[in-house]
Amino acid sequence: MTHPRAKIAFFDFAGCEGCQLTVLDTLQTHPELLQAVEILEFRESMSEREDGYEIAFIEGSCVWPMDEERLRKIRAQAKIVVALGACAHIAGVNSIRRSMSPEKAAEIVYGREVQNYVTKSARPIDAIIPVDAVLPGCPIDRHEFLRAVSMLLQGTLPQIPSDPVCVECRLDENRCLLLRGQACMGPITRGGCGAICPAFGVGCEGCRGMLADMNFEGLREQFLANGLSLADFERRISMFLSEQTPTLQVRA
Amino acid sequence: MLLKILSKSDLPDAVERLGQRYRIIAPMLHEGQTVFKELLPGDAPDMEYRTTPLPPKKALLPPREELIQLQSTNGESRLEPVLDVQPAVLLGVHTCDLHAIGLLDKVFTEGVPDQHYINRRRLTKIISLECLEPCSEHSFCKSMGTLAVPESFDLHLTDLGSDYAVEIGSKAGLNLLWKFFTIRDAGDDDYARLNKAMSEKWSRFNYRLDIDATELPGLMSLNYADELWEELGQQCLSCGACNLVCPTCFCFDVQDEIDVDLRSGVRTRVWDSCQLARFALVAGGHNFRIRRGDRLRHRFMRKGKYIQEMYDRPGCVGCGRCAQACPVDIKPLDVFNRLAAGHVNQSEMKKEAIV
Ligand code: SF4
Ligand code: SF4
Ligand code: SF4
Ligand code: SF4
Ligand code: SF4
Repeated sequence: MTHPRAKIAFFDFAGCEGCQLTVLDTLQTHPELLQAVEILEFRESMSEREDGYEIAFIEGSCVWPMDEERLRKIRAQAKIVVALGACAHIAGVNSIRRSMSPEKAAEIVYGREVQNYVTKSARPIDAIIPVDAVLPGCPIDRHEFLRAVSMLLQGTLPQIPSDPVCVECRLDENRCLLLRGQACMGPITRGGCGAICPAFGVGCEGCRGMLADMNFEGLREQFLANGLSLADFERRISMFLSEQTPTLQVRA
Repeated sequence: MLLKILSKSDLPDAVERLGQRYRIIAPMLHEGQTVFKELLPGDAPDMEYRTTPLPPKKALLPPREELIQLQSTNGESRLEPVLDVQPAVLLGVHTCDLHAIGLLDKVFTEGVPDQHYINRRRLTKIISLECLEPCSEHSFCKSMGTLAVPESFDLHLTDLGSDYAVEIGSKAGLNLLWKFFTIRDAGDDDYARLNKAMSEKWSRFNYRLDIDATELPGLMSLNYADELWEELGQQCLSCGACNLVCPTCFCFDVQDEIDVDLRSGVRTRVWDSCQLARFALVAGGHNFRIRRGDRLRHRFMRKGKYIQEMYDRPGCVGCGRCAQACPVDIKPLDVFNRLAAGHVNQSEMKKEAIV
């Protein structure tokens, strides 16, 4: 049985292109992907582009006024929109700017003389258009990307795990950082990355986003009980999770 | 009791010989902690280990296990069950974990027999190890009746200093002993050494339940509506660690994965945890244990009551792993003892009221 290849396209907004690079790399490690999909647009890897895509994978956050229009156009054409990576999903590292005004951010980065600075506070793409599925992480996980493509080909929306990072961490018998008094956002962060940071002895930064059902206050209390400070906790939050932590936002 | 003596210095040779015929899973020092692992040639088991993050259950029920492979060629689909075929020796199992394996044997053979478990269990010989000291500050095996070895071992070792006393638990164990070990018969002196070790050990296990373990199911029933559950629910992070490290937990999740060619795939099972928010989510989006306090209560009801009543074996073997693993220090013995204390207070109050 052969099936028609799914017509897909990749688009990028504010981000480091690490997620697109992960896709590109996955096309090399798993060449069978190219039998399954037809790529109509992918600026990172090809100059040709064609309309008629059914599935749009969107990397990056919305930061420029003109981004909104472009996102709406993609939405109008695509049957399915997938947010690719933390920047698109939860405004990613770009959301660090959330805690200050755009003017302040411009001043820190470019100095006082900056002109024509139109960049606004970073927003996830679902702040502009409806999103059908999310592939979280900074960058995305290649196996999750492959699973997502398989599910889309089967006609279902990609499912992502809704268990905390701790689950995979414990199954792999990593030594828990939180138990050793160190900072880790694992208990409130969506797993599915193989707990790769704790596996290498580094606390989770929360790049896959906060779970809908989790104990935010409980983790903060545990940071304090471990002798860490509130500032330590907020520093962790500001890396990836400020979009999902309304109390920490000073939106401009 | 038929007792044999194995000199400790002869153990490495025996392990090497066993390794030529069996996969050996044993406690091994690995990155600063001892874990159960497959021994590779030249590896030495850590026979002095205290406890491990995951129990030896993982040798019989792997944390992630392929159950079925799917292949479709020319429109024809084939499903192949994945069954382990390699005989194994599980070495260095402490008594609490052996009790827990006894429970799993019941769970996976009664009702709907689980071919994957049963097959692997049949292929696995168990060499257990007597506990002469508590393995951690959190273990309360003595209270749970799991500090004495059950009969389900093939061989059982007790540390006598320079030797191990070896008890034979099965024909298979006897065969192992003949084929792979250099042993001698025990003399009067060896029996005396064993008796001494065994009589001295009990007083070292002092961390304990304030009531008799037989009263635990009743205590749990009485406290179904206690406010403790909600209080603990405030602290619990729903991380699942307590279940994932527990030797008596046996819930798993089944996941299907189809490759992008849509021609092949696998069905996998992964250990699950009733503390996770999505555990009780059912079709239609209803979650029947949405509150963390309800989930904690459920876990402790399983450990203290439900399993005992269903399988006639303790649902908690007192290994202390969950207490060790919990990032917010929720400990089963504290929970049981607090409920017991509250219960004692209540009956005191009742007595006073009657007087
Ligand atoms: S999610 Fe991370 S890797 Fe992906 S584009 Fe954003 S910054 Fe780069
Ligand atoms: S290291 Fe972090 S992710 Fe791993 S178990 Fe501990 S808290 Fe959870
Ligand atoms: S451990 Fe945390 S920060 Fe690291 S990849 Fe996973 S979710 Fe991201
Ligand atoms: S509930 Fe805790 S102490 Fe009891 S058997 Fe499980 S992990 Fe061990
Ligand atoms: S280990 Fe502790 S925090 Fe984690 S789910 Fe269990 S009781 Fe809750």
